Amino acid sequence: MRTIALGLAAVLTLSGAAPARSPVDDHASALAALADVRAAVAEIVRIEDGYAVGHGAYLRAAHRAMNALVGRRDDGYAKSFGDPGDGVGTLGHLDLMLDKAGTSLWTPAVQGAKANVLAAAEDLQSALAQKEMEEYQADLTRALASLALVVGRPSQSGVLGGLSGALANTSLGVPLGALSASGCAAPVRAPAYGVVAGRLAYVALPRSAASAGIPDDLSVARVVVQGDMVVLYTHAARDAAALCRSASRLQRTRSVVASPSQISYTVAQARAGAAVYRRYCLQCHGADLQGTAGPSVAGADFVATAQRNSWSLSDLRTTVFENMPFSNPGSLTPKQYAGVMAFLLASNCYPSGAKPFPPTASPSFAKVKLAAVPRAKPANAKLGTCPVK
Amino acid sequence: MSRIALGLIVLTGLVAAVLVGGSPQVGAQGAWPTSDSYVNADKDAASWLLPARNYSGNRYLSETEITPANVGTLKKAWSANVDARGPLETSPIVWNGTMYVTSSHNDVYALDAKTGAVKWHFPYKPHVIAFSANRGVALSDGKVYEGTLDGHLIALDATSGKPVWNVVAAHDLTNTFYTMQPVVYKNMVLLGASNGDWGGIGYISAFDAATGKRLWDWNTIPGPGEAGHDSWSGDSWKRGGGAIWSGIAIDPATNTLYADTGNPQPDFLGTIRKGANLYTNAMVALDIGGSKPALKWYRQFIPHDTHDWDPAMPPVLFTGTVNGAPRNLVAAGDKGGNFWVLDAGTGALVYRLAVSTQKGQNTEPNRKGNIACPNTNGGVEFNGGSYMPETNAFYVPSVDQCGIWKSQGTATYVAGQFYLGGSFPALYGPSTGYVNAVDIGTGKFMWRKHLAFPQIGGALSMSPGLVFTGGVNGDFTAYDAKTGNVLWHYATGMTIQAPPGSYVIDGKRYVVVAAGPAGVNFADPRLNKGAPTLEGSYKHPTSATITAFTLP
Ligand code: HEC
Repeated sequence: MRTIALGLAAVLTLSGAAPARSPVDDHASALAALADVRAAVAEIVRIEDGYAVGHGAYLRAAHRAMNALVGRRDDGYAKSFGDPGDGVGTLGHLDLMLDKAGTSLWTPAVQGAKANVLAAAEDLQSALAQKEMEEYQADLTRALASLALVVGRPSQSGVLGGLSGALANTSLGVPLGALSASGCAAPVRAPAYGVVAGRLAYVALPRSAASAGIPDDLSVARVVVQGDMVVLYTHAARDAAALCRSASRLQRTRSVVASPSQISYTVAQARAGAAVYRRYCLQCHGADLQGTAGPSVAGADFVATAQRNSWSLSDLRTTVFENMPFSNPGSLTPKQYAGVMAFLLASNCYPSGAKPFPPTASPSFAKVKLAAVPRAKPANAKLGTCPVK
Repeated sequence: MSRIALGLIVLTGLVAAVLVGGSPQVGAQGAWPTSDSYVNADKDAASWLLPARNYSGNRYLSETEITPANVGTLKKAWSANVDARGPLETSPIVWNGTMYVTSSHNDVYALDAKTGAVKWHFPYKPHVIAFSANRGVALSDGKVYEGTLDGHLIALDATSGKPVWNVVAAHDLTNTFYTMQPVVYKNMVLLGASNGDWGGIGYISAFDAATGKRLWDWNTIPGPGEAGHDSWSGDSWKRGGGAIWSGIAIDPATNTLYADTGNPQPDFLGTIRKGANLYTNAMVALDIGGSKPALKWYRQFIPHDTHDWDPAMPPVLFTGTVNGAPRNLVAAGDKGGNFWVLDAGTGALVYRLAVSTQKGQNTEPNRKGNIACPNTNGGVEFNGGSYMPETNAFYVPSVDQCGIWKSQGTATYVAGQFYLGGSFPALYGPSTGYVNAVDIGTGKFMWRKHLAFPQIGGALSMSPGLVFTGGVNGDFTAYDAKTGNVLWHYATGMTIQAPPGSYVIDGKRYVVVAAGPAGVNFADPRLNKGAPTLEGSYKHPTSATITAFTLP
């Protein structure tokens, strides 16, 4: 595999260039960040494994490793010692990945990597101040331990997987512009990357390409030959498959809102809310609550969305009370709003209780996450909704 | 560096190599429009190849057999029903006797353009993030392209309607979807994302038309270190909005893409995003001749907007006569009720004209609520207008409404929900519309007609002197381009928020328009009961229809 130099060159030019116009190519940044870490590690290992060559050589190694980690924009950069990295530095690349809108599944891993780079940089700083060889070496050993965590391992995801784990198991492993497909279904063409909610489930390669060898740092848990392609399933594939199963279970059967003990509404309230719904909401959300011009507000599709976006009862309440009806927000009375909330909860198969849904917000709503109601039996199994009679 | 044996790096190389080497594209040569067909779309009387017929974005026809003298005899030739779960906003693409249209929920239909018979139907069941709408497909080299409500870009076989490829095109599927009609330019499919009221950052992307591979993205909000970044206080840029969601124009001679960017976010709360908020509410001219777009110039229409008054009208490039001399111009229109004419080469302002009532525009929404006009769906809407050289006039419909605006003082981002810092305004007072004819020579009205209902259908102008447009009450009307007199009308009985198109089959010219339910934005309470129109009364419909008209 090492013979194909083309990809490597391309990636390095990308990351070495001045920060390109956004969006940042996160995949390339991660690869470049890893390359800088490995360059720093190589410096340290070389000096530790070699025969002592005097204090100056040790200092030089620590400075060079530091340069590769922090990049030329940092105060800690000592230009005169040279830089085995690309100049942007691991930190520079990681900051590019973190300094932008939104978060991804890989964000915690990258944040963890950054914390470990900073720890390693501190140890290197300390090493530079040491007079005794033993202390110097102790500092370097600590720095190496932190850097090992930055590199991580492909077989693990989350913070423990480090950068390799994120590249091997999340959408970070998908190069800018490559085809990505839903990882819930088997691939139909190669090359392609199968992604499920930010997890990299598989990489499909054309057989011809795969026969040249399987990439080293991919976390291959299972290899499947399928027609004229080779599908490399990652360690994240199991997790992804579980997500796909629960999503399709949700679609097939039932629905909504969890934490029965924390929410209450009365049957009478839900009935009154049904009338409010028909008058003020139906035109956009449909007679069966499946959405027409607007989105669904009950059943499998709604619950799946609520869960994916981790909506709380407070989020739902805010949307209804403050933004609905969309054409005339805030126009209903608190009582009407509470009633229509009761109707939505009932339609989502949430059990009624003794207390009505309150017209004012309660801080506890923020802690109640919307989810499928356990053991609910939606009367409409296809849509996953319960009728309000 | 040579000791870095990183499999993933190598994998990148591999994939790139395979894609570049790619499977040969099979396509019946000559059977489908080519790059040249697009550049010369204006000269092809039979077809309608681009959203507004040509890359200039000017929905104008230079030769036609339908005239002010005979338009009165225009009759319905056929109509075809499509999925009616939302509004129809599709701009039909017509090529070789086939018409390609979409429904609000992304179903794609190939119709016989002469009879309306369905040749194939591609059903799709997207999850709806906020509202359902789709403005139509692009066609090239045997493929039909559609951007979907669940953030995918799909290529269908234009002959069979079977999927060829389907890629996840949006970057954040929790808050981003597509309503824009894609545009094919050279080997690229250009598509902008709708995420500008849901906490995203605007971008337009180019995809390889053969494979769906992403070629580039251009972000509308400058990140750290980029020019314009300091027009945002703190971290507010990270959810700054500026979606490119309506339509685009292209000047092929200079490879310049003209796009309008949407409102900044949170929509109604300016205090947490101090500054001009570049490049929101602006027209940007991008050089797309290279491997990445480069910004040539921008003109911000409403700096630091706090009313969601984005320039919804797609840019229109034309050569108009100003002060007696021809000048290359580009027109824009915003939901704040402004019609703008700029120099197409530099972006310099030529003039601005208010085409809707404007009031309270300098007061930011507060907690108590204050009145400002236009309302959120007021001013100039997303179907825009058209320039006619014969009259040197620009025809642009507008919406006249006021609203009560409120902000909440804070804004919280919740994935999949509006990110407003307030709520959309409630309608205040009457809801009417205009059809405006703007004299390009002077920047003043040549004529304007005040109508009982909002006008968002977009204008099609036809020499020697007709303007077609439709209103939310379903009236589809032909006006005399010189006087504004009504020369012909047809009551569709549905809400029109799609632009008219036109084509020729067997020597006969057709005019076509889509109409359907009102959707979330243009629901008009008057229509619940049945409201007067030019022909009988209108009620909220349960069907969605494409209707084609021709002379007897
Ligand atoms: C004119 C159309 C319209 C009317 C009438 C309307 N809604 Fe909505 N509703 C919408 C739109 C558009 C959204 C998407 C908001 C967003 O993206 O955050 C929405 C979202 C919602 C949601 C959140 C679902 C989601 O996936 O975002 C709920 C719950 C809801 N509406 C309830 C109601 C209730 C209750 C009423 C009546 C009191 C009502 N709506 C009336 C258009 C409407």
